[in-house]
Amino acid sequence: MAPQTPAVVMDNGTGFSKLGFAGNDSPSFVFPTAIATKGAGAGAGGSGSGRPAVANKPSFLTGGAGPSSHLSAKRGTEDLDFFIGDEALAASAGPGYGLHYPIRHGQIENWDHMERFWSNSIFKYLRVEPEDHYFLLTEPPLNPPENRENTAEIMFESFNCAGLYIAVQAVLALAASWTSSKVQDRSLTGTVIDSGEGVTHVIPVAEGYVIGSSIKSIPIAGRDITYFVQSLLRDRGEPDSSLKTAERIKEEYCYVCPDIVKEFARFDREPDRFAKHTVTYPNGRTAAVDVGYERFLAPEIFFNPEIYSSDFLTPLPNIVDTVIQTSPIDVRRGLYKNIVLSGGSTLYKDFGRRLQRDIRHLVDARIKRSEALAGVKSGGLDVQVITHRRQRHGPWFGGSLLGQTPEFRSYCHTKAEYDEIGPSIVRRFALLGGPGST
Amino acid sequence: MLLLDYQNVLIESLLRDRFAEGASPISIDQVVSDFDGVTFHISTPESKTKILVSISVRCFPELLQYGAQSVLEREYGPHIVPAEQGYDFSVQIDLEALPADAEARDNLVRRVSLLKRNAMAAPFEQAFDEFAERQEEASKYTSESAPQGLLEGGEVRAIHYREEEAIFIRASHDRVTVIFSTRFSDETDRIFGKVFLQEFVDARRRAIQNAPQVQFRNDPPLELQDVPGLEASRDIGYITFVLFPRHLAKQRREETISHIQTFRDYFHYHIKASKAYIHSRMRRRTADFLQVLRRARPENEEKERKTASGRTFRVQA
Amino acid sequence: MARQSQSLRPYLQCVRASLTAALSLSNFASQASERHNVPEIEAKSSPELLLNPLCVARNDNEKMLIEPSVNSVRVSIKIKQADEIENILVHKFTRFLTQRAEAFFVLRRKAVKGYDISFLITNTHTEEMLKHKLVDFIIQFMEEVDKEISEMKLFLNARARFVAESFLTPFD
Repeated sequence: MAPQTPAVVMDNGTGFSKLGFAGNDSPSFVFPTAIATKGAGAGAGGSGSGRPAVANKPSFLTGGAGPSSHLSAKRGTEDLDFFIGDEALAASAGPGYGLHYPIRHGQIENWDHMERFWSNSIFKYLRVEPEDHYFLLTEPPLNPPENRENTAEIMFESFNCAGLYIAVQAVLALAASWTSSKVQDRSLTGTVIDSGEGVTHVIPVAEGYVIGSSIKSIPIAGRDITYFVQSLLRDRGEPDSSLKTAERIKEEYCYVCPDIVKEFARFDREPDRFAKHTVTYPNGRTAAVDVGYERFLAPEIFFNPEIYSSDFLTPLPNIVDTVIQTSPIDVRRGLYKNIVLSGGSTLYKDFGRRLQRDIRHLVDARIKRSEALAGVKSGGLDVQVITHRRQRHGPWFGGSLLGQTPEFRSYCHTKAEYDEIGPSIVRRFALLGGPGST
Repeated sequence: MLLLDYQNVLIESLLRDRFAEGASPISIDQVVSDFDGVTFHISTPESKTKILVSISVRCFPELLQYGAQSVLEREYGPHIVPAEQGYDFSVQIDLEALPADAEARDNLVRRVSLLKRNAMAAPFEQAFDEFAERQEEASKYTSESAPQGLLEGGEVRAIHYREEEAIFIRASHDRVTVIFSTRFSDETDRIFGKVFLQEFVDARRRAIQNAPQVQFRNDPPLELQDVPGLEASRDIGYITFVLFPRHLAKQRREETISHIQTFRDYFHYHIKASKAYIHSRMRRRTADFLQVLRRARPENEEKERKTASGRTFRVQA
Repeated sequence: MARQSQSLRPYLQCVRASLTAALSLSNFASQASERHNVPEIEAKSSPELLLNPLCVARNDNEKMLIEPSVNSVRVSIKIKQADEIENILVHKFTRFLTQRAEAFFVLRRKAVKGYDISFLITNTHTEEMLKHKLVDFIIQFMEEVDKEISEMKLFLNARARFVAESFLTPFD
C-alpha cells in the first residue's frame, strides 16, 4: 500500500456532514446529512419478507433474459438508487424520492441509510478506495459502544477500510483550538461549547476524556436565532421576512454587544448602524430589508434567553459555570482556563469576549463571597475563552490535524486486527494527541 | 449510484464556483485523493486568481513512456506549467484570463476535472493507434500471406497503477486486449468478486452481443506470457477485455477509454455496495427474529413509552 | 407451508418434538460450588446431571444437536451450505447475529464446534418465556435462515448480472 495516502476525515453531524482529507485546513465537502431514497418502504425496515420491491430496471435487461424472469424479479437495485447531501434535497423536491436524515441528536438512528450515505460519500464524492485509506470518524459524547461497533462493522466489513479511528467530537474541537495563539500547552483539558444548528452542548473534557455526568445541553442554537430574526422582521413588516433572508441577515450582520441597553442608545445616536440588506430574487427583482436592533439582539438570546424563549431561561455563561462546578474539583482550573468554541453559531463577533466577561463575573463573585466567608485571600482563577479561526468546522479540523500526524496510523485499529478480534475492538481507542504524543 | 463518474467531483465543483460570475477570489490549498492512489493538490500559490492543479500518479513514468506528455499537451496546452515539487504534472488556470463564453469555461472545467482520466488515457490511445496501423497493414494481406508477427499482436503496455494491480494493453490487427489484474484483500470480496466476474463473462453471451468479450482467470492469460513477475494465486484475478474494432472507432474511443478505466473501481465499488445491501437485509431479518422471540414473552408487562426526544416515562397507576 | 419440500417437514417435526421434550428444565443449584447456579450443560461439572445429546439430521449438511441437562439445553444448528458463496453468507449472517446476542437472550456467542450457530436455553428462560413459543422461535429460525441465505445468494447473482450488464452496455 502506498504510504502517502492521506487519512479520510468524516464528521457526520445531525445537520451537516463534513468530509475531507487529513492535512487540509477545511473539509472538501460540506453537505446535509440527508439521503433521498426511492419510494416509501425502501430501507425503512420491518416489512415481512425483507426483499425490496422490483426496481424499474433498464429495458435492455428484460430483453433476452427470457426464461430467467424469476431471477430478474429479484433483481432489486433500489438500494443503488438514492442521493445524498445537496443532491438529496434536490431529488426529494421532485416526485418519487423521500428524504431521510439518518442521524438524530448526533447519534446514528438508521444504519441502512447511514451505510449507504457513507458508501456514496466515499465512492462518489471523496473518490477513494477505502482499502487504501485510514479513516477518522467522529462520534458525539456518550455514544453507546454498540453504535461504535456497528460503525466498525460497516467500515471494515462492507468497505474493507484499511484502518479506523473514532474520536469524540468535543475532543477534536479541543485539538482544533491548538492553532490559536492563545493556546500554549496542547492539552486536551477544557470545556467545549459546541453550538450548531439544532442544539448547543457544553462538554467538559479532562485529559481527553469526556466527563459525561456534567454535560449540559441548551435548546438554543442556530435555528432559534434565525427564527428570532425572522420574528423581528415580521413584527416590523419588512418586505421580505422569509427564513432564508433571516438566515442571511443572521450570518452577515449579527454580532454580540457588551450591554444591550447601551447598544440601543448607541443605535439611536449613530443612525449608520442601521443597515440595509438587499434581497435579489431569481426573477431579477430586488427587495430592500432594513436591518436594525436584531443585529445585536439575535445572538443575545444566548445571554438573555428570556427575550426569546419562555421555557428556557438560564443564560449560557451560567450553564458553563454550572458544568465546570459539577466537574471534579481537580480539573476545574483547567476547564475554566480553556473554554473552546466550536460550531457555526459561535462565530458572532465578540461572542467569545462577552462569554469570557460574563463567566469571569460569576467566578469573581463566588471567589469574593468565599473570601469573605473564609477570611483568606484567594489566588484567583483564570477564565479564558478561546476563539480561533477553525471554529466553524472545529471537530473536522481537529480530526484533520490529528489525522496527519505521523503516529496517527498506530492509533488506529486495522482491518487485520478487526478480523482477528471482532467489532468489540473499537470499544477502546488509545487517546490520540494525548500526553506523550507529539 | 450505478456508474462511477469519470471526473473528479471536487475539482469540478471547486472550479465551477471559482468561474462563476461575481465569485470573489479566495485562496485554496487542498490535497485530495482520487481512486488508484492518485493525489491532487489544488492551490493558489502565487495569487488568489491563479489556481494551480497538480496531480501525482504512481505510474507516471510508465505513462510518459506511453506518450502521456503529448496527450496532456493536447488537452491542456497553454495551461501547462512546470510540475510542482512532489507532483508529476501541473496545470494553472488564471481566473483573470478565462475564456469569455460560458461554453468554453464549462469545457475548461470539464477538461481539468478529467486530469486523471487524461493522464491514464495515453497508453490506451497509443494502443488504439497501433491497432489502426496494424489493421491497415493487415488488410493488405490474406491471413496466409501476412508477414511474420503482424497478426500476433504487438508489445504489451503495462501500467502498474496500484501497488499490486496493473493494467496491460496489447494491440493486434483485429482487436485491442485490455487486461486488468486485481487483488482481493478479503475472503468475502474474493468470493463475491468471482460471482460478479462470472456475470461479466456471461453478459455478452446472454444480453449484450456487441459488448467487448470478457474473460476471467486466476493465472496470467496467454497474452501476458512474456511479462515477467506475474503470479497466479486465488487472490488475484486477471480480467481480460477484448475490444473489437467497433469499440475502437474514432468517434467512440474517447468514451471507451474513459469507461474502461473505471472498471477496477466500479467492480470493487459494487462488491462493497452489495455487502452493504446484504447488511441491511441482515438487519431487517434480525429485527424479524427478535420480533418472534419477543412473542415468546408472556404479555408485555408495562410498555415503555417514549417522547420525541427519546425520554421515557411511565404512566402513573 | 406449501414450499416446504418433502423431507423438510418431517425434519422440522422431529426437531420440534425433540426440543419440546428437552425443554423440561428445573432450577438446579450447582453441586460443585456453593451458592452458584450455572447452566450445567456448559459447566459439565457433574456428569449425572447431563442427559444424552441428540442429533437430528436431515442430511450431512443440515443437522441439529440438542444437548440437554437438568437446568439448561444447548441447541446447535448446522445450516445448509452448498457452495463457497453460501458458506460465506452463512458465516456473515451468523456473525452478524451473534454480534447482537445481547438482544436475543438465548443466543450463544460462540457456536459449538462443527455447527454454525448455537442457542443456550436455561431454566430462567423457560420460566420467563412461553416454552412452546421458544420452540416456535427455533423452528422459525431454522426455516428462515435457509430462506434468507438462498435469497441473498439469488440477490448476489442478480446484482452481479445487473452490474456486469450495466458496465458493458455503454460499449454496445
